[in-house]
Amino acid sequence: MTTTTGRGRGGKFIRAIPTWLYIIVSAAVVLPPVAWILSTSLKTPKDTIQFPPRWIPNPISFAEYAGLFNSTNIRFFINSLAYAGGTIVLALAICIPAAYVATRYRSRRMEIVMTGILVLSMVPAIVVFIALYSMFVKTALVNSYPFLIIVYAAIICGQTILFLRNFIENIPLEIEEAAAIDGCSRLQILWRIVLPLIRPGIAAIAIFIFVFVWNDYLVGTVLATTEDMKTVQNGIVRYLQTGYGAFWGLFSAFIVVAFIPVLALFSAFQRWFVAGLTSGGVKG
Amino acid sequence: MPDHRSGRSVAARPRKNRAVWLYVIPVSAVFLFVFVGPLIYTAWTALHETTYYQIGKFSGLNSFVTLFSDPNLASSVGITIVFSLGALVIALPAGLLSAIVLNNLNHFKRTVRSLFLLPWLLSQATAGTMWMWFLNPDYGPGTAITEALGFGPSNVFSSTGGALVAVTLITAWWSYPQAMLLFLGALQTVPKELYESLRVDGGGIWRGFANVTLPYLRNTIVSVVIVLLMLYVQMVTIILVTTRGGPLRGTETLSMRVFNEVFQQYNLSGASATAILLFAVNIVLTLIAIRFRRKESL
Repeated sequence: MTTTTGRGRGGKFIRAIPTWLYIIVSAAVVLPPVAWILSTSLKTPKDTIQFPPRWIPNPISFAEYAGLFNSTNIRFFINSLAYAGGTIVLALAICIPAAYVATRYRSRRMEIVMTGILVLSMVPAIVVFIALYSMFVKTALVNSYPFLIIVYAAIICGQTILFLRNFIENIPLEIEEAAAIDGCSRLQILWRIVLPLIRPGIAAIAIFIFVFVWNDYLVGTVLATTEDMKTVQNGIVRYLQTGYGAFWGLFSAFIVVAFIPVLALFSAFQRWFVAGLTSGGVKG
Repeated sequence: MPDHRSGRSVAARPRKNRAVWLYVIPVSAVFLFVFVGPLIYTAWTALHETTYYQIGKFSGLNSFVTLFSDPNLASSVGITIVFSLGALVIALPAGLLSAIVLNNLNHFKRTVRSLFLLPWLLSQATAGTMWMWFLNPDYGPGTAITEALGFGPSNVFSSTGGALVAVTLITAWWSYPQAMLLFLGALQTVPKELYESLRVDGGGIWRGFANVTLPYLRNTIVSVVIVLLMLYVQMVTIILVTTRGGPLRGTETLSMRVFNEVFQQYNLSGASATAILLFAVNIVLTLIAIRFRRKESL
């Protein structure tokens, strides 16, 4: 044992070298564009288009951030919040009951329904979007909050159900059986017993849904046809396609602001975040 | 196995189970509306003539004949394959290596994990446009680097080959953390004792990787390959915000072609035919995915 630790100390150091080399290379690949955006967002508009590029803004200016405060941009943020909030509520409302009965009342037919849901949620989003667009472009459905929320919820449902099933499976069956003997109905068991027990899972999937909706670009592009219904992600790209050229400073500042909610959620709930993604993902 | 069986038998518990279906109705209704309806509509429009978004008279398989006789289809399929496999070849090893590195790390684990996850936390639209600004031929640091190395400005998005490489790399950059997360979950199930006994036997890192990690992860690797391929075959956003399928259709994958056929050429029946082809590719991938999931759970 002593010999191995003696060899291990030197060996550990040498063994750590490739690891840290890999981490440094990763940092060199991951960080530059992010740092460049951060740097651009803090420059004066004139400085954003200088060559050779300067990494440290001088002078540091918050003018581009201030320039983001206009009604269009605020509307993008409100829209994205509304879509994300609505999707969380709707997806949970339809997925929790389904995940519950799919876990506790397994039957051949139930498995068929669940497999159907899983297979359908793997249909390429673009296929569904263009059909929905051409079906409803002439109606009031396109450009409405409920419509986009339903679409978002449907896309995320497969993963949500899988994820929730993992949580429900971990609840000891005895608790539910005891409740049933005490005269609880199925709905009461779900509402009073299962729901409180899977609260951490619900929180994790809610965060996941939020980030999914917040970061989505395609639904807002295809199914929201007027400016006032577009999302934050549309807002980012909008600064590059203005017709007056690209506004790199505003664009960079917008990226930073749009990333803040995701970053905040990630730093606050990192463990749930990662746990949720890994457990839901391997099976999905 | 016995656990699985007993789990099954709970379902057979005699109870009035008809009401169970009420719990599945809402989600089924949403799926009928968002997936089943549009899929039927897609098949319908593929079989009819369309002008803009109006469905005209029945045209049989004409739109498929047009699709398969289109010389651009072969290049579109080729681009899809190059794009998907190219991104896969980078993202898969990068994801696996990142997961292994993270799993063996004792210090700064949170920081390194955040670093590795960062691209994926950014949205696809952000990742695409961010790199576009970084590689901007006039003002971007990418150009400063290529000029310092004696090449010209990094005008990657102006040539078909360069644009395809750039879009593929950006997609791999954005998506490798997803592979990493899946591997990370699976690595936690590898028994640590196996590495220890290997170390006692004098096996190095490489033998640990080849003899313990890889065999344990075999099924996970297959499912990660499928998850990533599905992601790449469906990828629209990163291509849309950077090249829109251009220049000269050089980055127009099948998915991007569907988008362009609807929103640039207003050719709905053509788009529907392409969409059905895309759907077929997807079904194959889905079937493989389901097959492997079954294997994993049994």
